[in-house]
Amino acid sequence: MTVEIAPPTSGVGEVRPPTRGPASRRPAWFGQHVGTALVGMVAGYALGHWIGNVIASGYAHVQGSGENDVAIVLGMVLGVLGWLAGIGALNYPLAKLVGRDSVPRETTGWTRYFRYNLTHKVVGMQYLIMVLVFLFTGGLLAMAIRTELLSPTSHIYGPGTYISIVSEHGTVMMMMASSMVLGPLGNYLVPLMIGSRRMAFPRVEAFSFWCFTAGYFVILSALPLGGFPTGWTGYAPLQTEATAGMDSYLVGFLVVGTGMVLAGFNIVVTIIHYRAPGMTWGRMPIFVWSILVTGVLLATATPTLAVACLFGILDRTAQTAFYVNEHGGSSYLWENLFWFFGHPEVYIMALPGFGIVGEMLPVFTRKPLFAYKVGAAGMVGVGLLSYFVWQHHLFQSGINPDMRPLYMLTTELISIPTGFIFLVGLGTLYKAKMRFEVPMLFCLALYFNFLIGGITGVFLSDVPVDVTVHGGFFVLSHFHYTIMGGLVFAFFGAVYYWTPKITGKTLNQRLGKIHFWMMFVFFNLTFFPLFLVGLFDQPRRVFEYAKNLQTLNDVASVSAFLLGSSFLVFVANFVWSLWIDPKRAPANPWGSNGLEWQTASPPAWYNFERIPVVLADPYHYSEPTEVPVADLAPTNFADAAAAANGGGA
Amino acid sequence: MTETHADALSGLESPEEAAYELRAAEASIWTGSRLLISIFAFTFAALAFAYFYLRSSNSADLWRPNGVTAPTATGAAIMAFTLAVTGLQYYGVRRLRSGTILDWEVAGWTAVLAGLIALGLQCWELTDVPFTPGSSGYASVFTGWAVLNIALLLGGLYWAETLLARHVRLRRAHVEEGGEKSGLLVARVTRINIVSCAHFWMFIGLIAVFFWVFFYVVAG
Repeated sequence: MTVEIAPPTSGVGEVRPPTRGPASRRPAWFGQHVGTALVGMVAGYALGHWIGNVIASGYAHVQGSGENDVAIVLGMVLGVLGWLAGIGALNYPLAKLVGRDSVPRETTGWTRYFRYNLTHKVVGMQYLIMVLVFLFTGGLLAMAIRTELLSPTSHIYGPGTYISIVSEHGTVMMMMASSMVLGPLGNYLVPLMIGSRRMAFPRVEAFSFWCFTAGYFVILSALPLGGFPTGWTGYAPLQTEATAGMDSYLVGFLVVGTGMVLAGFNIVVTIIHYRAPGMTWGRMPIFVWSILVTGVLLATATPTLAVACLFGILDRTAQTAFYVNEHGGSSYLWENLFWFFGHPEVYIMALPGFGIVGEMLPVFTRKPLFAYKVGAAGMVGVGLLSYFVWQHHLFQSGINPDMRPLYMLTTELISIPTGFIFLVGLGTLYKAKMRFEVPMLFCLALYFNFLIGGITGVFLSDVPVDVTVHGGFFVLSHFHYTIMGGLVFAFFGAVYYWTPKITGKTLNQRLGKIHFWMMFVFFNLTFFPLFLVGLFDQPRRVFEYAKNLQTLNDVASVSAFLLGSSFLVFVANFVWSLWIDPKRAPANPWGSNGLEWQTASPPAWYNFERIPVVLADPYHYSEPTEVPVADLAPTNFADAAAAANGGGA
Repeated sequence: MTETHADALSGLESPEEAAYELRAAEASIWTGSRLLISIFAFTFAALAFAYFYLRSSNSADLWRPNGVTAPTATGAAIMAFTLAVTGLQYYGVRRLRSGTILDWEVAGWTAVLAGLIALGLQCWELTDVPFTPGSSGYASVFTGWAVLNIALLLGGLYWAETLLARHVRLRRAHVEEGGEKSGLLVARVTRINIVSCAHFWMFIGLIAVFFWVFFYVVAG
């Protein structure tokens, strides 16, 4: 991989101008799009599988097993390359080898969403749809899990199928959650919020999305390949012993991980260098702070996961022994590498949620964000400390007991900056006259849910409690309260909040409130009983349980179905409000000071007619002398920029 | 209908704004290359962790049975060629800074050649090791290293080659358009990219030395 080489031939840089030509007047279905990508993927898989068979079908371990992991992995890898080639992601890297610039077809209209497009707003929308596809796929698998758990003794699936469904659900959801905010909202909104017309590396951004999409197909291929039995954590030695579905897990995480690294890379550089004049660190929206820290975590923690997956792939194909104790390897190696990524991953999922609510609370309370700098510092603190806690996931694995107090301490330490972020929200809410619009309801729900998830997390960081409840539904409930109760609620709040900006249309508020209350009530009715189930020792990932726990499980299952149906309300609202009965949104429906609201809705693709000069942070609500956030048409850009930067924080 | 940035921005971009974005683009390449180094540093830190973890665990007494090592001469040659690339990149940048573009070009193409030799040797070494990949912890980590090193060398070479190819094409176009073959163009367009690429190769050189020591000198 290499960084985008952006030859700024005349100033603006790399997305600079493809010229109109005969090729760009071809019909939309010509050229490269999702259809050609699918063809490329199928052809690549077939070719890779054939090569793998040629290479490895004679190997003793392949002949004896009836399964050729070399063929499967090569098929997947070439399938992903075929997908990327088919969509056009490799045109530019290949053209550069001979010193040429490829000229991207930049289309308008709906077909651009099915193409390799370099506009950050298009990529954001592509991410949004793909994240929802991931979410609904994982949600359907969750329904399947809860259906099985309706009865302790009557079964719909066998135990192997059940664990495969659980594993697929967890992995799909984790992949989705990693990109849930940074992908759609980060890519779409960050340039608007920092006053930029573009991303630093648009091709890297687009490439990250198409990796994410390819990863969806790869991880989904686990089901026809027999699934994998490890849960989303992929623990060795089960990983090494598993059948072909495990290849999908390892290759899928490698591909999605590559996309995550690239997405983080691009957004970090963009935030550092493409802020408008006057957008000092002290004026940057709190959402952008959260995305910055998330981007750094994605770029630096995910390579460890990629390496761990590579080792797993080598164990299963080249017969190395990284995770095989009997041959000089160690299954603990996977667990350490995985959780070195896995715990920052928790904050990759949590921080953007806090960024979203931090952005929305001042708008709906008409108050400045309380202790803004503490909130930003809290996010940076969480990001730093997240690298030093991973071994708390191994308290019960047989690690050296002397290590436990250290990691218990670091885990409890991280609750301090997390508490900062939480208190920033509560301080903003204090004595506020709130407007209970739909986005605000989701914000408040986050604080309710995360309080439960966070406090149970403090318990779990203590070794004695962790030893007691480890491996059961208590832990499961804890992380669903933090990730779903935090991130997913914030995400939907953000969708309601920024849809008028993105589409120029408003989502129906009545349907939005129905969606919210169904989601909030049934989320809690699903997962709170599971704390009790966990305290009564029901283990995770087991499809049978004690008969006396059936009532609690049934409450959870029925609530889960209703929780799932709340998403149908959202889909109905989305379709109704945007296509069937669209209503033009006011220019700034929530009365936000945010820079993104100071331009047209939906924004023109150059975002701002002139590069704005930022004059203040966007949180000066209800102050006697409200300062304009930015000068959107500076008469003398250079002077205004110098003045704004000089007077910055 | 087709719309381009040129269409959209024509008339909208003042010279000051263009200069502002140009500075941002250059700074992005600078920061991007450092962040790229960080990404690969974490990647190879994970490999180093595996090395020391398996070495200290010595599961089933199979870290490195019988003191078997990968071919030392080949390993040394790979490291030497990698360091040659690093040195040539560094030299090329120095010459470029002093305005001697031809020296940079020659050093660059020589570096690409040396890198290709290192890459070829690394691939060949994988077929010539005196152990099977799963025979020990050492053998496993060495296989992982070889795969990652191939990827790293490929990435670094791609970056170096594309810079040279871009330069050659731009120079030709510039001359065809009647311009002089001057240092101005390449300096403006790709200088920061060239410097960043050289820094990345310094990182690759460091990695080559570290892991050469791990695998061939103090393998344990």
